[in-house]
Amino acid sequence: MIRRATVLLLLLGLGGVFSALLFGYTPDDELNRTAAYYAGQTVRDTGAANIVTAIIVTYRGLDTLGEVTVLFLSAAIVGLVLAHGARAGGARRRPIPPGELLETGSRLLTPLILLLGVHIFVNGHLTPGGGFQGGAILASATLLLLLANPMRRFSHRLIRLLESLSGLLFVLIGLLGLLLAGGFLDNRILPLGTLGELTSAGAIPLIYSLIGLKVGAEFSSMLAALAETQEP
Amino acid sequence: MTEIALATGFLLILIGLYGALTNRNLLRMIVAFSVANTGVNLVLVGVGYLRGRAAPILDATLPAAEAPARIIDPLPQALVLTAIVIGVGTTALMLAYAYRLYLTRGTLDISRLRELKW
Amino acid sequence: MVDAILLIAIPLGTAFLLGLLPGHWRGAAYALTLAALAVGSAISAAWLLEFAAGADPREIHTAGAPPPFAIALRIALAESAGLLLVSLSALFAALYLRDTLLKQGRRAMAVLLIFAMALSGLILTRDLFNLFVFLELTVIATGGLVLLSSDPRALGAGFKYLIAAQLISILLLTGLIFIYHAGATLNIDELAAISLERLPGGTLAFFLVFIAVVAELKLFPANGWALDIYESAHPAFSALVSAAAGTAALFALDKLLAGGTAWLPVATAIGCVSFIGANLFALAQDNDRRLLGYSSVAQLGLLVVVVGQRDLLGEAYLFVAGGILLAHALAKAGLFWLSGLIEGRDLTAWAALRRRPLLLFAFASFIALLIGLPPFPGFYAKWELAHRLAAGGHIALLALILFGALLEAGYLLRWFGHAVKGTPPEQGPARAPQKMVAVHAALAGGWAAGYLWGELSGLGNLLHALPLLFALAFLPLDWLPARVKNSLAIAGMLGWFLHAYPGYDPLQLIFAAVILPGGALILLASYQNGGRRIGFYPSAMLMFAGLIMLIEANDSFGFFAAWESLTIGSYFLILRGRRSQAHALSYIVFSLGGAFLILAGFTLAAQGQTQLPLSALGDAPTALAPWVFLLLAVGFMTKTAAIGLHIWLPGAHAEAETDVSPMVSGILLKAGLYGLFVLLTQMGSQQLHGIDLTHAMLWIGALSALLGNLMAIFQEDAKRLLAYSSIGQMGYALFGLALMNHLGWLMALMFVINHFIYKSMLFLSVGGIAKRTGTRDMYRMGGLITLMPLSFIAVLIGIIAISGVPPLSGFGGRWIFYNAIMEGPHRLPLVILFLAGPIAFLYLFRLIHTIFLGQLKDEHRRVREAPFWIILPQMIQVALLLGFALVPGLALRHVDAYIGGLVPGGGLDWEGLTITSAFGYWSPVTIMLIVGVIFASLFAWLLLVNRRAQRVGQFNIVFAAERPYRPETTHFAWNFFAPYRKALGFFTQPLATRFWAALTDLLHAGAGLLRRHYSGDGQTYVIHLLAFVVGVYLLRMGL
Repeated sequence: MIRRATVLLLLLGLGGVFSALLFGYTPDDELNRTAAYYAGQTVRDTGAANIVTAIIVTYRGLDTLGEVTVLFLSAAIVGLVLAHGARAGGARRRPIPPGELLETGSRLLTPLILLLGVHIFVNGHLTPGGGFQGGAILASATLLLLLANPMRRFSHRLIRLLESLSGLLFVLIGLLGLLLAGGFLDNRILPLGTLGELTSAGAIPLIYSLIGLKVGAEFSSMLAALAETQEP
Repeated sequence: MTEIALATGFLLILIGLYGALTNRNLLRMIVAFSVANTGVNLVLVGVGYLRGRAAPILDATLPAAEAPARIIDPLPQALVLTAIVIGVGTTALMLAYAYRLYLTRGTLDISRLRELKW
Repeated sequence: MVDAILLIAIPLGTAFLLGLLPGHWRGAAYALTLAALAVGSAISAAWLLEFAAGADPREIHTAGAPPPFAIALRIALAESAGLLLVSLSALFAALYLRDTLLKQGRRAMAVLLIFAMALSGLILTRDLFNLFVFLELTVIATGGLVLLSSDPRALGAGFKYLIAAQLISILLLTGLIFIYHAGATLNIDELAAISLERLPGGTLAFFLVFIAVVAELKLFPANGWALDIYESAHPAFSALVSAAAGTAALFALDKLLAGGTAWLPVATAIGCVSFIGANLFALAQDNDRRLLGYSSVAQLGLLVVVVGQRDLLGEAYLFVAGGILLAHALAKAGLFWLSGLIEGRDLTAWAALRRRPLLLFAFASFIALLIGLPPFPGFYAKWELAHRLAAGGHIALLALILFGALLEAGYLLRWFGHAVKGTPPEQGPARAPQKMVAVHAALAGGWAAGYLWGELSGLGNLLHALPLLFALAFLPLDWLPARVKNSLAIAGMLGWFLHAYPGYDPLQLIFAAVILPGGALILLASYQNGGRRIGFYPSAMLMFAGLIMLIEANDSFGFFAAWESLTIGSYFLILRGRRSQAHALSYIVFSLGGAFLILAGFTLAAQGQTQLPLSALGDAPTALAPWVFLLLAVGFMTKTAAIGLHIWLPGAHAEAETDVSPMVSGILLKAGLYGLFVLLTQMGSQQLHGIDLTHAMLWIGALSALLGNLMAIFQEDAKRLLAYSSIGQMGYALFGLALMNHLGWLMALMFVINHFIYKSMLFLSVGGIAKRTGTRDMYRMGGLITLMPLSFIAVLIGIIAISGVPPLSGFGGRWIFYNAIMEGPHRLPLVILFLAGPIAFLYLFRLIHTIFLGQLKDEHRRVREAPFWIILPQMIQVALLLGFALVPGLALRHVDAYIGGLVPGGGLDWEGLTITSAFGYWSPVTIMLIVGVIFASLFAWLLLVNRRAQRVGQFNIVFAAERPYRPETTHFAWNFFAPYRKALGFFTQPLATRFWAALTDLLHAGAGLLRRHYSGDGQTYVIHLLAFVVGVYLLRMGL
């Protein structure tokens, strides 16, 4: 009871801070300096139609690299944590096999889901969406397969190769920017092309695709690791 | 509009924290923190919103020249994406921890993990 | 120069690359990890050299766009040093963790690499959101690395940390987006330029980010999860958290505060609370790693204070912050690494180090690094910090910091005492080469940093001071036999004296003569010890080096450094005694407390001038001068064990080894007197609130003399008796000095010489007797006169000299003394002092009577004379005493003339062998002759009378059938002065002892009670954090 009261009181204090922020808030009418720069310069700098993508992949590419690393790290640690806990393989009961309908349905859907995911991240510099969204969709294919058959096991080797290779290439492309263009992660190591085309915006589509693959691999890895804790 | 988003976001944060600080169950705490994180994300996008403007994606209807006058602030959108992904990462990590703790300690009650103190 | 972005790209790329290796190539993966970290260290080191040579800071733009639109990084001198620290500690952590990493596989290695990368990113980045990303990376990587521990409790600790980090990241993100809204930028440098406070919502937004970064520093009191991690994680990882993560978080705070000068006082306050609180709580700890955790929290608190005082520190900021940070990081890493070699987790388990002297030396160095003792960087940094604080008028802050530092020294040295004096387990520390490498690297780093900071300080590098180097040279020579080292030590001391004495003024000469040739004389007794005597010579020489540097010092810095050196050296020496652990601790705590008072006094006087010539002490601002005087005087009086501050002395002097007691009593006590001489010479008498401070000293001197002597008469232990007698003797000297007239000072100087000779002689004889009889209790001895005639002669001469009866030099002292007080105006303290005189007879009488006369005990029938090497210095001292008694003028006449220039009052007239004062004359030779004649005639008469005496055999007594419960109570010599105890015992109530004991009990009990605040519940810890945030907010907004 005392705990609840204390927490309420403290949250009241925090709420005070928040309400001060809220009441002191005046919405902007114009884009501020930074936003105006992005609005005006993105096309010239990066050649990307999706300004958010340009910011994510290029201007704040270091953040994104960190972000991808967060996922990599989480996947690795989830693997470590669960590997610790993996019980010595006792006698496994043969689980009930999934029904025909589920089996066929997931087989039918998986390629479509994968295709959609790839579409989303390949077009990340043109349309809403991008590597993270596409990657999440890729991983949803894994999830579907797991839901259909909880006992399904995935090749860790493939997932690992995918995540490592895409991550490594991301870093290498970033370093190429250092050598060939204006700095780490500069996308102008490839021609910017024409605005709105698939092969435009320099390295952005490439990087975003790598991110998509990596995100898909990381999520799949986490899902697979979590699934393996399931006892038959 | 923005104010409503901000107020909702703040409220979600407070609700989430209340849940996280009063529930003893690890899984409930994790869920509560997810609620709070959602609130933070709402605040993030709320701050970038400008009334009556379009998403910052150029196409035939939104040529580059008109962009500064017609789009919302793209930066918070980029930031929120990062924040979401990081949130996912930590949530996954906490879930894995909770699972391990349950395996080794047989409990999900945080008040029973007190062998380290003082 | 390679781009610093590689410091991020290389570990990250390597982490990804590890995934491409086949799973069973663990060795290759490990080699790659090490290589990546080594390359990172090399790059940082190259940058550091470049900036040290004066290169300009380098901005690194990413994405080919300028900040604030793209993320920018910056590397400059501080950053490159921080990066080097991070990469090296990660490299050594990887080495240390070799077995664990190989077992856990490349995922663990990748996590370690990313942890190092994230910390580097925190240091490099100039973008607020990027800072958040790297912060989250460190959080998640921490969550992974905690699992490397074999301790099952680590899992719970990791979870607690993760939920606390959730709250931190919520606050950080919320604040961050509003900062962006207010300032339209996320670039830290631009934010610093636009003064957020004046923008709507800016202050609040800044507060949220600020408090989140502070929370990430894991400061007291909202840091329960951090302590749990320190305690349960793998020591290599705890080292990394303490050294590297702490450093990185500090960089983050420093960057942030560049734009929030209004928050500097808040940072100072938070840091100060953290420093004192964590140090206080650590007092009650007995788990080594948790103790280190508390100490880390405290050190980071101190560093936050330094950050908060950035403006005050000005150009010295980097020097101070860097010195403390480096000392903390190296020591913490070293200590955590050492803890991985120790089996048990209790502090007493560290006695295992006794089996490995090198590791013990490393331990001592780390402790000294943490406390900030010379010659380590923390010493220079704290000196500078204290001066700036005092000059800036932040006296209260200075006092709090010194108090916290004393607490810290208390628990660290208690721990050190356990290691040195505990019973070592059968098994020494584990032998693991890669762990040793890490420990030794930290050790080498600590000494190198000490050298570097000495060079940078501009105050004179202590590692260039010859006496100190001489003392340190005994460390590598410690494998030599003790007798060889003893000869080297004696030669060194005499050599230095011969080399330096022409440059001394008479005052210095007297002290130097006592220290160097006097010390060498006592060292003759050390020939008695065979074997190697590991650790004795470095400690003893450190003490002597400090002493001689003290009297040679011309400025406050040299003086203080010498003071600290002699304190540490003597502490190590005293700690060597068999049962001296507790006494050595109380000695060092009192001494450091005194030293901090001296430091405070100097800083007040100096007003920012870090190297104040001692001759400028008198120029202190008038308003401050009495305070300067007070602080310095109390500091010095701690060393002379003035009454009230004396409780450390009896145990420390009595429990020390046979040849150590005379050193610490006969020589070391004089350091305090020298300090008082300097102080009184430079500052004269001072008035504080109408009280003449020298008059107060007069009283203290008189009371010390009376009570010291009184307490001495009730001792059963001969060495304790002598120790208490020192308190009384120093009281006399203090009194003489406080008289502030010529003769008083002359008498004090006479005491310097006399007390050295007779006290060290008595300690040696008593020590020799104790060695032969196996006890120090006087009532257990008796009748030793025939078996130990030489010791008897030494004691006899010694007590004649001490008691001040003719014909020996003690009488000369008294004579000068009576002359001095006749000149002085103070009557009441004078009466007290007179009272003290006869009391001295009482205890001195016991020495002769109980030890040498009476019946010989059965078990002592075969006792032989004390060993030759212990007798030899005593006989030389007997000769010296006789010589000094005959021709005191030899030494004193120059001093007499010299003193004439310092204080008012007429001196003495030294004509031939006769000394004349305003009140009469003293002719030592005549007196000697007269007394000799009287003595001879009485002795002859006694012999004549004695022929008729009847010898009583030892067993010619009746035994009772009863066996008393405490046999000693039936012994006539036990509680010899019981009647006096009845009459005067109330004087010797251990008031001071009780006071100090109550104080320490209070501190310990308080720590024990308050630390229950860390209930172990992770949720409660988050509530603490929330309360901390709200509390700071309310306080800040309310003020």
